Amino acid sequence: MHDIYVISFNSTHHAIRFEKRLKELELNIKTIPTPREITSSCGLSIMFSKDNIDTIKNNIDDLKIDYYGVFNIKKIDDGKKELTKLY
Amino acid sequence: MRIEVDARGLNCPLPVIKTKKELENINDGIVVTIVDNEIAKENVLKLVNSMKCESKINQEENNYYIEITKGEFEELESMQEEITQKQEVDDNTVVFISSNVMGRGSDELGEILINGFIYTLSQTTPYPKSIIFVNSAVKLTTENENTIDNLKLLEEEGVEILSCGTCLDYLNLKNMLKVGQTSNMYDIVERLRNSSNTISI
Repeated sequence: MHDIYVISFNSTHHAIRFEKRLKELELNIKTIPTPREITSSCGLSIMFSKDNIDTIKNNIDDLKIDYYGVFNIKKIDDGKKELTKLY
Repeated sequence: MRIEVDARGLNCPLPVIKTKKELENINDGIVVTIVDNEIAKENVLKLVNSMKCESKINQEENNYYIEITKGEFEELESMQEEITQKQEVDDNTVVFISSNVMGRGSDELGEILINGFIYTLSQTTPYPKSIIFVNSAVKLTTENENTIDNLKLLEEEGVEILSCGTCLDYLNLKNMLKVGQTSNMYDIVERLRNSSNTISI
C-alpha cells in the first residue's frame, strides 16, 4: 500500500453507480472514504490498481460520472504522503 | 500567503535553494515551485520532507507544480503522528458494533459507511484493544469480504476481534467465521467493563 491510485467523486450516487459498474467488470477495487490528503469533504473514493487506469477512464466517460479527480498517493519516508493529481 | 518560485531551466541545486529560502521566510502559507525535470522535483520533495511540510504535485506537460504548505498546523500534525506511532494499541478503547450497517435510513448507504468505518479503523493508530460484533454485525466477520479483509489487518496488528456466538448461531453463520474468535456474553461484558472508552456503533 505504498503507492495507491484513487478516483474521488463529487457525489455519493455517482460513486455507487461507478462501483457497481467496476464490480460487473470484475475489477479488483475497494471503496474507501476519500483520503484527507485529497479533500476534507466527507466523500467516497474508489481505490484501484495501476493496470486499470484506462478502464477507469473509459468508464468515467461512458457513464458520464461526476468525479473530483484521479489521484496517485505515494507514501514516502516518515509517514509523509505525496499526492499527484493525474486528471 | 502564496509565493511562486519559477525554477524552470535552473540547474541543481538552485531550485532547492530558492524554495528553501522562500519557505524559511514565511511562518505559514503556500510556496509553489515550478520545475521542468524529474530530478529537480525529487530534490525539492526531499527538502519538503526534511522541513516537515506537506506537498501536492500537479503535472502539466513537462512541468511539475509542487505546492508546498508550511504552517504550525502541519508541525502539530507530524508531532501527533509521531505520538500515535509509538502507541499502536490503546488498551482503554473497545469498539462495539451491533449492526451490519451504520446508522438508520438507507441500508445501501449504511453498508458503505460501515465498510468505510472499518477501513479507516485499520488505517489509523492507535488501534482499539478489541472490536466486538453482536447481532447482524457478525455478518461483518463472516460474509462481508470488504470488512473481513480490513479486520484481518487489524488482527495482525494485535487487535482482538470477537463475534458473539449466540448471534452466529441464530443467523446460521456458526462455521462461517473468517476472522477473529467466537465469543460469549461473559467475555463481552468483561471487555466493556475493563475499557474506559467504549465506542458503540
